[in-house]
Amino acid sequence: MSEAKTTIAADAVAIETAPSKPRAKAGKKKAGSGASGTAIMLVGLVLLFLGWALAVKYLDVPSYILPSPVAVWHALWSGLAVSPTSPLGYYLPLWGTLKNAFIGLAIGSGLGLTLGSLMAESRVIEKLLMPYAFALQSLPKVAIAPLVVIWFGFGDGSKIAIAALLAFFPMLINSFTGLRSVEPERIDLMRSLSASRFETYRIVKLPNAAPYIFAGLDMAVVYALLGTIVAEFLGAQQGMGVVITQAQAVTDVAGVFAALVILGAMGILLHGIVRGMEARIVHWGDRGRK
Amino acid sequence: MAALAQTQTIEPSAGPARDLIRIRNLEKTYSDGSVHALANINLDIKEGEFVCVVGPSGCGKSTLLRILAGLDDYDSGTVTLDGTPITGPSRDVGVVFQAANLLPWLTVRENVALPLRVGGKQKGQAEDIDRLLDVAGLKDFGHRYPYELSGGMQQRAGICRALVRSPRVLLMDEPFGALDALTRERMNLELQRIWQASRKTVMLITHSISEAIFLADRVVVMSARPGRVIRELEVPIPRPRSNDSIISHPSYPALAKEIRGLLNAQGDE
Repeated sequence: MSEAKTTIAADAVAIETAPSKPRAKAGKKKAGSGASGTAIMLVGLVLLFLGWALAVKYLDVPSYILPSPVAVWHALWSGLAVSPTSPLGYYLPLWGTLKNAFIGLAIGSGLGLTLGSLMAESRVIEKLLMPYAFALQSLPKVAIAPLVVIWFGFGDGSKIAIAALLAFFPMLINSFTGLRSVEPERIDLMRSLSASRFETYRIVKLPNAAPYIFAGLDMAVVYALLGTIVAEFLGAQQGMGVVITQAQAVTDVAGVFAALVILGAMGILLHGIVRGMEARIVHWGDRGRK
Repeated sequence: MAALAQTQTIEPSAGPARDLIRIRNLEKTYSDGSVHALANINLDIKEGEFVCVVGPSGCGKSTLLRILAGLDDYDSGTVTLDGTPITGPSRDVGVVFQAANLLPWLTVRENVALPLRVGGKQKGQAEDIDRLLDVAGLKDFGHRYPYELSGGMQQRAGICRALVRSPRVLLMDEPFGALDALTRERMNLELQRIWQASRKTVMLITHSISEAIFLADRVVVMSARPGRVIRELEVPIPRPRSNDSIISHPSYPALAKEIRGLLNAQGDE
């Protein structure tokens, strides 16, 4: 049990302080695009699984250290090929985890955007809050998780709280940075029109910061999921974290792997949803910059 | 064009037009005290007049424009618009920025309509956006985004935006500086056409001597920093002017030579 905990916690410690830059879209299609890119990816995947299966078979790796891909597939299938309401399947725990992660994401990123906006607009609020933001940011937030469980209990509250805490910082830093990075000519334009502060925020600063905010959201989504799982490790009735700890308790390593595969797929899916939203909303891309 | 002319704010009365903008003993030093930007500027601009300001880089001509736009303050002197001191941005002043400065997340039409959406519910005339876009040759591009337009079209949209509140004064800060030479000549023709239709009072800043002579009723030459007005030259070439008629006019070579001489004496351009 402690092994799984340490791994996740170590990941969480690595959360960066620096705001992630909006992706540069130029040159995206240069390498590995289209059919040939997909083919390269598939060949790599096949080689990985082949190497894995052969290594397990011929190097005599015990299945409680590294199960074979086939064993993982069986575990995965037994969790997927059941009725959605079955307590043995992945559907109920996954739903529970995603729901809490999503509520935490909404609260955390909403607060991050709000406070980031206030800090970007007011030097006083910036001076007041920035030291705390950095202090909290440098703290490995997963280490606060046991405290959060004491405050919010073993129910959904502690999962939502930790997810919100982890989602908060990338949104705070990125929205602050994005809102401050507006071109001075655009501010001059709004000033020359006697625009109010709120009009300038809504019409110029917020859309200008959108690529930064989406980059923050992209991180926040993954962190919210991470936070929820960590909270579930500490104690929960249901959730993917519980699925992992239960499989671990009976040394069902294939079951742990299968649950990780599900979580990995969720991460990719959520990332894809955020990218899709960004492409729709920030349709002007980098073309708006000089 | 004819429709635009109806919205002009002055009666086309006979006799000399009165001064709309008056600048007296204007001084400006940037707040850290290191740059003396403008020194004792005196300049009058008549209602309906087209004035071009030329001067070496960094001579404070942009600062002068920003003061008239109400975007920068000044240290001493008086600057009045129709007798009222300029203390901040005004509905009577439209600004055309360098490089169009359109917002990429708004369509061309939304960009042009922006001045009508913001700045409170001040009373004032509003131009018909469709008519403005039509005059600027952008009728079919209203629903496009700025990045789908050429640089020249973007700047025409920028001019439409500056005109949409029907200001009395149009301030233009090197509006065509980022365009290639051919597009620039075409834009000068377009601007002359729009100006003749609307008869706004215009102050345009430029680096180009030929552009200044082509567009201006009067060319104002400024000195290197600290900026002073060193010469004002009337351009006696009749309108409408074309790129050909301008260089073949007998007064063109002397004018261009004089302006170039004044600028060269400043050790720039």
